[in-house]
Formats: sequence, C-alpha cells, structure tokens
Amino acid sequence: MNSSAFRRAIRFLLPWTLLLLAVALVASQTNRPAAVLNMWRPWGEIGALAAVMTAIVLTGGIDLSVGSIVALCSVTFGLIWQEGWSPITAAAATLAVGFAAGALNGILVVWGIAPLVATLATMAFYSGLAMAVSHGVRVAGLPESFTELGQGSGLVVPNQLTLFLATLATAWVVVHHTRFGRYLYAIGENRLAAEFAAVPVRQVEWTLYTASGTMAAVVALVYTARGGAAVPNAGAGIELQTIACVVLGGTRVTGGQGGLGRTLLGVSIMSLLDIGLQFVSRKIYLPWSDLPWQINANVRLLLVGALVIGVAIWNERAAAARRL
Amino acid sequence: MHEASPPLLELVDITRRFPGVLALDGVSFRLAAGEVHAVVGENGAGKSTLINIISGLLPPDSGVMALGGESVAFANPVAARRRGIVTVHQEAELFGSLSVAENLALEQGLPTGLAGWVRWRQIHDDARRAVALLGEPIEIRQPAGRLSVAERHMTQIAAAVMQRARILVLDEPTSALTAGESKWLFAQIKRLQSAGVGIIYISHRQEEIFQIADRITVLRDGQRVWTGSRQSIDPSGLVRQMVGRHRAETMGHAAAPVLLTKRQPRLQVDGFTAANGRFTNICLTAHAGEVLGIYGLVGSGRSEFASAVFGLEKPSGGRLTIDGQHVTITSPAQAVAAGLAYLPEDRLKQGIFRELTVRANTVLSALRSLARGPLASTTLERAATQGQVAALNVKCRDTEQPIGQLSGGNQQKIVLARWLLTRPAVLILDEPTRGVDVGAKSEIHRLLRALAAGGTAVVLISSDLPEVMENSDRIIVFRSGEVAGEFQPALVTPEVIATSALPVVSSAEATLDSRALRRRAFQPWRSEIALAAAIAGLFVLLALTTHSFFTPENLRGLLANAAVWTILSLGAASIILAGAIDISLGSLLALSAGIAGLTLKLPYSPSATIPLGMLAALAVGIGGGLVNASLTLFGRVNPIVITLGTMTIYRGLLISLTGGETVTDLPIAFVNWPSSRIFGVQGSVALSTLAAIGVYIWISHLRSGRHVMAIGASVTAARLVGISRTRTWLMAFTVGGFLAALAGVLELSQTGAMQSGMGTGYELQAIAAVVIGGVSISGGRGSVLGVCLGALLLSLISNGLVLWQVSPYHNSLVTGSLLLTAVLADLAWRRLDQ
Repeated sequence: MNSSAFRRAIRFLLPWTLLLLAVALVASQTNRPAAVLNMWRPWGEIGALAAVMTAIVLTGGIDLSVGSIVALCSVTFGLIWQEGWSPITAAAATLAVGFAAGALNGILVVWGIAPLVATLATMAFYSGLAMAVSHGVRVAGLPESFTELGQGSGLVVPNQLTLFLATLATAWVVVHHTRFGRYLYAIGENRLAAEFAAVPVRQVEWTLYTASGTMAAVVALVYTARGGAAVPNAGAGIELQTIACVVLGGTRVTGGQGGLGRTLLGVSIMSLLDIGLQFVSRKIYLPWSDLPWQINANVRLLLVGALVIGVAIWNERAAAARRL
Repeated sequence: MHEASPPLLELVDITRRFPGVLALDGVSFRLAAGEVHAVVGENGAGKSTLINIISGLLPPDSGVMALGGESVAFANPVAARRRGIVTVHQEAELFGSLSVAENLALEQGLPTGLAGWVRWRQIHDDARRAVALLGEPIEIRQPAGRLSVAERHMTQIAAAVMQRARILVLDEPTSALTAGESKWLFAQIKRLQSAGVGIIYISHRQEEIFQIADRITVLRDGQRVWTGSRQSIDPSGLVRQMVGRHRAETMGHAAAPVLLTKRQPRLQVDGFTAANGRFTNICLTAHAGEVLGIYGLVGSGRSEFASAVFGLEKPSGGRLTIDGQHVTITSPAQAVAAGLAYLPEDRLKQGIFRELTVRANTVLSALRSLARGPLASTTLERAATQGQVAALNVKCRDTEQPIGQLSGGNQQKIVLARWLLTRPAVLILDEPTRGVDVGAKSEIHRLLRALAAGGTAVVLISSDLPEVMENSDRIIVFRSGEVAGEFQPALVTPEVIATSALPVVSSAEATLDSRALRRRAFQPWRSEIALAAAIAGLFVLLALTTHSFFTPENLRGLLANAAVWTILSLGAASIILAGAIDISLGSLLALSAGIAGLTLKLPYSPSATIPLGMLAALAVGIGGGLVNASLTLFGRVNPIVITLGTMTIYRGLLISLTGGETVTDLPIAFVNWPSSRIFGVQGSVALSTLAAIGVYIWISHLRSGRHVMAIGASVTAARLVGISRTRTWLMAFTVGGFLAALAGVLELSQTGAMQSGMGTGYELQAIAAVVIGGVSISGGRGSVLGVCLGALLLSLISNGLVLWQVSPYHNSLVTGSLLLTAVLADLAWRRLDQ
C-alpha cells in the first residue's frame, strides 16, 4: 500500500537524517579533530556494552545492571590494587567479579524471573555492594602503566574506540554468522516455540547475561583507567545510554528483530549528538522570549530520555504495521 | 409444542472462518425452553466455536442469532450474560489471586452501590448460597487459584444455577467430576429444566447424553450432520454420525496388515509416568517402517506423554530406549541428539516464528549440520531450505519471506521440514493436520507413509479418528492417562476405537484423594503477620541494644521518615498491583517537590503560596503519572522502558527549572506543619495514615480498585469480563503519581530544602517495600496493610543502621539485598502456589 511504502521510507530515512544532522553539527564546530576523537572515549565504552546488550535485547531480555557492575568492578580493581597487588592481578580479579555478577543475573533469569525485574534488583544490589566495600571512597593515584589503558591510543585511535570496534566485530560475527546468533532471534520471536525446536534456551540466556557482566568488567577497567581513579559511582546511568543506543538503532525491545548494524547506527547517532551538543555550549536566546537557554549535560540527558521513548514507540508501531 | 412460540435460542446459517479452516459452515441450531440439547462431535468438529459464538466470545462471520425471536449480536461475554446466557467453559480463565466469591461476582459485573462502592456482603451471600447448593465446604474467601478443576466447575455451575440463567451452556462439565458429583449435576440440570431453562450440553460421554438429553445435534467438520430426539438414535448410530458413514465404511482398508515380527523396534517406552499424574505407566513400541497411531480425546494425556518423551517435561518414572540403546532425556536438545523429533500440537504458539524467514524457520533445529566449522552458512541453509520447499511442495515466494505470510498448511509443512532436516529415527507428530486445508492434509499424510517406508518410526497422535484409521499400521488408544488398548485398523470398526477412548465415569476416587491433599489450611494474612513479627522483633532489639532508639526525638524522626516511605510505597503498590511498574516515581517525587519549592519562593504571602505550591505539586504528580500511562498504553511499550526514559526526563526538567541549585529558606509555616499535631498525632503520620486509608478504601471497596486487582491478576480473564486495561492503568498510574507528589511535598517540608538529587533511588526502595510487604511483583495479589508494614520495616532498618553506627554506605547495600531477597521470595511464593 502507498502509506506503508511511505512509512517504510520514513522509517529508513529518519535515523540517517538524524545522523547526518549530527555529523554536520560536529563538523561545523570543529577545528581540532584530535580533541574530538578524545571526546569519543566514553562512547567507545558505551558502544562496547551496547554491542553485548543488542544480543540480549534480541532475545527479548534486558540488562539494567550493567552500570552497577561497572561501579562494582571499578571499586574491586581499586581496592585490590590498593592492597599492593599488581594491576594485572587486580584486573583479573575484576574480570572474575564481572563474570560472577553476570552469572548471577543469568541464573535469576533462567530461574524464571523476568529479566527487567531480575536486573532491576541486582542493579540496586551491585551498586549497594560497590558503596559498601568502598565506603564511598575513591581510590586515586593509579599507576600510569594502567591509566594508559584508558587514556592512550594503542592502535592509532583511542583505546576505547578500538575496544568498541573489536567488540562490535566479534558480536557481529556471533550474532549474524553463528548458530548461537540464530538462536537469539528464535528466542526473541517465540520463546516457547524455541524450546519446542530444541533450542537450548536456558544455556543461551545464561551465556548472554554472563557475557554482559564480563563486558561490564572490561569497560570498568577502561573507565577506571580513563579517570585515573576507582570510583564507587562509576558508570552511573550508563545502562540507560546503552539501552538508548540499542533501541535508537532500531532493535526491537520485545526481541526478534534488529542487529549490530543497527546498534552501530544507534551509537553513532547518540555519540555525535552528544558530542555535537557539547560544542553548542554557548547560550542561545530563544526567539520568542529573552530567556537564555543553554545545552548542558542535563539537557543532553533529557534528550536521551525522550529519544529512547520516542524510538521504542516508533519501532513497536512500525512492527505492528508490518504484521498487518 | 415448540412451534407455538419462538424458540429460546435460534441460530440460522452461522458461518465462522479461521485462517486456513472453516470452523462452522452454515450451522443452524435451535434450543427450546426446558430442553437439554446435547451437541456432540469429534474434536475439531466445531463444537467450541459454536459455544464461543453463543457465549459472546466470538462474533460469527455470517448468520443470524435470535434470542426468543429477537435478533441479537453480542460484543463480549458480559453482554451475553446480561441476556441470561451463562457458559461454564471446560478450561475457564479465572483470577487466580482473587477470592472465589469475587470471581463469581466479576463474571456478571461487580454489584455496586453509590459511587461504585462494592457490595461485599451481597457478593459473599451470593457465593455462600451457591456453595451451599454444592453441599461441599468450599471456603469462598480463599483465592480461586487454590480450587481444584472439579471445585471450579462445581462452583461455577452452582453460581449459574443461582443466577437464574435462561440458557446454560455446559462444556464437558463432568470431565473432572466424580460419579457422585456428576449425579449432583444431573439433579441440578433436572431442576433447571423444570424451571424452563434451556441447556446446551457438550460431552464425549455417551451414557450421560442418553441419560439426560432431550435432543441431540451432531457436528462434523464444521457442519451440522444430524439433529433429532434421543429416542430416534442408538449409541452406535450416534458414533456413526459423528465419524461419518461414508468414511467409516471405506477407512481401515487402505493399509494392509504389517508383519511386525520382522521389523526392528526404534522407540521403546516402558512405564512412563507423569509427575503431575496426567499419564501413568505408559508402555509402547514404535517400529522402523510403521506409522503408529495414537488416538485419544483432549485431556487423555497423549500430548503430555509426547512432550515428556521429548524432554520438555520431566516424567517421574519410566525407561526410554531408542534403537536398542537406553537413553535418558532431560531436554529437547538431548532428544534431538538421540534421534527424536516432535512436531507440536499448537502450530502458532509452539511451532512457528511468525516474523522470521522461511529459511530461519526451516533450519533452526539442524543448524549444527548446516554450518561451515564454527560459522553458520547462509548458502547451505538456503540450499537445504530450497530442497525441503521443493520436496514438500511448499508454496512460498522465496525462502527469505516471513513465514507468517504463508497459509496454515504451508507453515505446517515448514515445521515438518525443520524436523526432517534432523534426520530423526523417530518422528512424533501431534495433531499434524489441525487447521490445515484439505490439499495439504493429504500431502502430509502421503509424506508420513513415505517416511515410514524409508525406515523412520512415525508416531501419529491425533484426535481425528478417520485420520488415525487411514494412516496408521497400528493404533494405541489413550484414555484418562493410560493405554486403553491396541488395535489393527484393518480389523476393527471406528466405533470400537471411539468407544474404547471414552472415559469411564466412576474412575474418580483418585481425584478425591489428591484433592484432600491440596486442601492446605488457608491463611490469608500470613505475610502481614510475619512482617509484624519482624518489625516487633527489630523494635525490641533496637530498644535493647541502643540507648538513643527509644527516645521521643528518635521515634519522631523514625515516624517522619516512615510517613514518606509509606506514601511513596502506596503509590508504587497501586501501579504494581495493576500489573505494571513505574521506576520514574523517585524523579516524579523530586519534580513535584521542586515545583512546590519554586512556588513557595514566589514573592507573595505564604498563605497564598503554600496552598498554591501544594496544588501545583500534586498536579505535576498526576500529570506525570498520566504521561507514563499514556506512553505505555498508546505506544504499546513495556512500562519499565517508558519510565526508564521519563525518569531521566523528569529529573532533567527539575534540574532545568532549578538550575541545579538548592532551594532553601522555605516559609516557616510550611516547614512546621509535619511536626505539628493534628488530631493529637504528628502531622506527617496523620497524612500517611490518611493516604493508607484512602488507598485501602479504593483498592478494597471501590469498583475501580477491584478492577486494578483484576487486571493485575489476569489480563485475559479481565478482558473476558469486560474490564478495560486502558482505563484501569490510567487510573493506577495517576494514583501512583499523585502519591509520589504527596510524598515529595512531605519530604520537602520535613527537610526544609530541595536539592536536585532529591529522591534518587527512592523508586527502588519503594518497590522493595512493596514486594517485601507481600505484593506480587506481577500484580493482582497484596494488601495495603502489607505495604505499610513493608515501608515501616524499611524505615526501621535504616534507622537501626544509623543507630548501630553502620557506615551510611551500607544503606544502599541493605536496600539492594532487600530488593533481591524480595524478588526471590516472590519467585518462591509463585512456585509454592503452583
């Protein structure tokens, strides 16, 4: 039908239009590209989490606890290093903690607690744990050999971007070119039928949440290295930005549709928008009043919230229209 | 006699089509007052569709339905009920966590008085009278989910009797009843009959039909094939009508008797018994090269048996041997590895992935063999799919088309292809041709024969007798979870097989025993009592271990804190009880408080700004709740995703408004009131008590509140009785937002300052309090008292942490642990209830 063709065109064009706008915005403001590249560091971390989150969302699940696991892992690293262990030992322990936290999420989900509820509970639990073991104190003065991990550019681009691209590529292969990836779509589309088709649903789900926890630990290391200190509220709100990237790209929150290409798009839009808006930091006088209006961190957060809702609804609507 | 006045109910030329099947094809039906009219037919003959149309669950595609001569069209079951048509379904949807009495009342719309005030006394009296009719002591205040199937049926029938129905539709009413209970039912039917009620009676049990029916209508393949009085037909004649004379004569001769002695057994099942008693001690063998038919009525345990063999359910005992090797199967993946394949009964729910491609649907179970090393290969997958599409003659545009666009028969062929690709030793098919057009049906039948000829053991489960007769080499009949007999289709008539599948009436002593076991003591307030004990214990412990606990200042502070928590938790509870969740409440609390704070700072007199500020805050709360509900409902997105977004939006709005600065120096009158005395108690305590009473009245005594509970208990059942989710959720979220704003105003006046970080993480604590208070996280179960106690316990714990000089950083850990414990406890409750 005509209107559905129109809708499809809009649906295809909208994200790319947004992306183009964001690129134009950044480009128009920049005269120091190197500085811009550095501004991508946090987005590399978010992007790496988003790559794993995409796989989870494809099954119709979600992991709200990634931010809290980042905090818990950051604190773990700091405390173990403070005890006099080498950064490598501390990093290994951190990864183990992330793995364990993710594994617990996986167990709760496999037991039959809805992923939203399970990870909402562990989100509170892990961040509480991070506060409790650290007593809210940050561990600063980390050695340069370690901070290089989050501040250096080992392979031409900032390490975070390398991490993001490597994770994205790995996840892309796993999701789009392995048996495991095929299972994700089947589970997200119809969990019961997947069980009847002999898909190992529980193993897949446990693996996903464990992978997500482990990736959060990796991100925690990079995050801690970037800031030069282990902080108990590291990664606060990062889960929202991660989910925003996945949803904004067009992966459906109820599962079964989407992919990593879309997540790359989502991360690009979000990061460019965020970075672009950071350039527009001078006060704007709104045309119909004398009120000064400034785009600050808070307004950016507002935009993220609105975008997540808008795109989630948009995708759900589009999927419903396709079904008719 | 019936011709003098118009019949009670008349259906003329009713047709109803489902995708791929014509469920009812021009069926006409008449029911006279005071008549018992039995409707019989095999499974799939169209009986359920007919009942669903009469009871208002489905509209007919064409045809006329008239009630006492007046043409009617029902929009929903409630409308049919208002006209006196009461239906007792075989498997009724009910509100498991609501009481028996309320379930009975909701089916006809809750009786209410002024302003939607629910008449509980009338509801309980009605229910008690209905139960008295049963002569069985059923506690009408216990949750309906605790009733056994028989008790559910009996109470529903009793309620229908009490309701002065004009037409009573009974769908397999005796399938779960004992002989004594059936006798009671027949006595009730006689009574209603003499009172002029028309009764439509659906049953597989011939002896019952010949005992109570006045007239009998036989349906076959969606058409009415025979109607007449009971006296004009005998049982074997009735079976012949059900099965079809023409087919009854020709079938059974298609397959020649097979010499099984030479064939090697591929699947051997020894003494399979279900943990839940759905089947017991099943022994059977399927040989290479044969089609083994399994015939049984719905509920005879055949599908349960098949899914246990396939590892989907755990049997409590029995041995499984495949190709001479003993195997233990605990998951479908193991079953596939052992050479089993199972085509499930319900294609749409258990078989296909609607929006995935034909290719993805075809290759899903055979991905291991279609891979290149660790990587999946689209090329190999496509080739395999194209091979199957050609071999099974599937009509589709291409292999990348979503399977949902195919017809039912072609979808079924794809699901079958999925299993053929695994090259199974044993292929079990459960109702493979249900909802499949005639052409595809015979193609599937031919395919089964070809597979068997190729050496596969094919097990064909079906409740379609001609299908089993025509396509099987041997037939095993399931009856009430047991093997009732084994037949050679060439040597017996369909009547023999149909008769052997009919359940025996008096096999019900076992159900009595199991029912006695289920009758655990009913303790409505157990979680509240446990909470109260925990609070008292903690109170004593704190009083004994610290000096500063039992002092007026500390207790006042404790109560002030508890007041905020109680109000916010009540708000969260309103939403959770309705089956939703709202994690923006903390931000909404802060935003409302911020608006109030900014209004209070306006350069006018406090007597103007205080009421104005409060009103503004409450308006913001209500508005925020409405926004959350609207986005969720009209965007059709999970409320957690929506409120995750609005959480940041509300917080962001607050920071934009205040510029991130702290608002202090509020008017003295505003800061003072929570600690001033109202009716002899602290103002904050009075306010929270008022809120609790208000929510209690709403939830327990007003129609809209009961609808909130009903939606949370079961969305499906709520739709059947005509409760709108949109209206109910809007209401619940509005109440939630209002209470969050109230908590915000209280918090603002108690702290006397407004920071932009106010209320961060409060939503999680409130959810923890609610779940600890015994509210089910999925909705429909919980009490206001429990929520208040949960909030009190949480405040007591945080007070204790301060007094015991635990580092404040442990506070959030305690909250997190509590929430986690609560979620686990909720899971444990659910498991226990099952």
